[in-house]
Amino acid sequence: MNEDMEDRSDSRLVKQAIQGNVDAFAELARRCQERIYYTLLSLTKNQQDASDLAQEAFMQAYKSLKRFKQKSSFYTWIYRIAVNLTLNFLKKKQREERREVLDESHSVGQETEDSSFSPEKRSMKKELSEKLQHAIDSLPLPYRASFTLVVFQGLTHGEAARILGCSENTVSWRMHKARKMLQVSLKPYLEGK
Amino acid sequence: MKCEHIEKWLSDRLDKTLSEERIKALDAHLEKCVSCRAYAESIEKIDKEAERLAKPDVSPVFWERFADRLKANLESIQQQKKERKPRALKWSWAWSGAALLVVVAVSLTLLFSPKKLPQEIYVFSLENSLARISQELGEDSELEEMFNSILVESIDESLEDSGWRERPDFLENFLIWEDLTEEEMKFIESEVRKDIQS
Repeated sequence: MNEDMEDRSDSRLVKQAIQGNVDAFAELARRCQERIYYTLLSLTKNQQDASDLAQEAFMQAYKSLKRFKQKSSFYTWIYRIAVNLTLNFLKKKQREERREVLDESHSVGQETEDSSFSPEKRSMKKELSEKLQHAIDSLPLPYRASFTLVVFQGLTHGEAARILGCSENTVSWRMHKARKMLQVSLKPYLEGK
Repeated sequence: MKCEHIEKWLSDRLDKTLSEERIKALDAHLEKCVSCRAYAESIEKIDKEAERLAKPDVSPVFWERFADRLKANLESIQQQKKERKPRALKWSWAWSGAALLVVVAVSLTLLFSPKKLPQEIYVFSLENSLARISQELGEDSELEEMFNSILVESIDESLEDSGWRERPDFLENFLIWEDLTEEEMKFIESEVRKDIQS
């Protein structure tokens, strides 16, 4: 990517991308790809899925760029597309997994096995981190999405609400409920410290 | 003040959305409530630990490959755009109208399904139809999936018929009417009424 491109503002790059400048859009993507990738990775727990979904989100955004009115930042807009795509992907995946369980062909996942490791083999610190990771992964999707955006990505309730397509109040309640659920499931580990 | 409310306030304070007034009330409560103090410590610890959860290392090579793949995909889309010049329907939200016609068709099916009273008198209302669909979809994920696939297929057909094969951007949000203004809703309702009468 040339230096000149790096100096351009998002809005200028958007205009150029609308006119068919692929490099301009690639620069826009480069600016937010890491944050988007890590968010999708937090949600999917799978590097390949996160990468594929990020690619898909950028492609959808490129196709729909003319409809981006720049009322929000490009980052918020693409973030919303990426998170929605991922939430839909995970919902579909959950349904498929439920069907597999019903067929009794479901094998126990790596995550479940990891969570059953003997606590004695790990330091308390490491154990809390692992249990926390497992507890976050076990949160219902809307709560996990809010928690990921607010705690991992440091977004405000307003920013998270715009991305998730809900009200700030809903994000606030989901954060409260998510923390409550985490506190309940981690209680023995939090008290033991 | 109930401890349950305090727990919500503690969460809001961590996210820096609690007002000064409430922070004072919260601190006053914490001074005399042991269990809320313990809860506050717990959720602060959870947040700190969560922030520390290591991000997996991603090599620069990964990002190079990611960028190369994206650029190839974008160029392919650009090429397709050049090959498929739109002939008509430049009106940006005409697709919303087309999609809503399908919505109405589905809603009519729902309204006249055999489960309903046979003598029910049908008076068309877009708002009621949409509310009914939301209600039906909210209860059944498979129905939602089916509804979405019918909607997308219909949009695809409309796009092909018009010669414009580029997909609209609301595909990640199928309940598109939620974003329409009141004026747009009224306009579409009047168009749908004409369509039903014809």
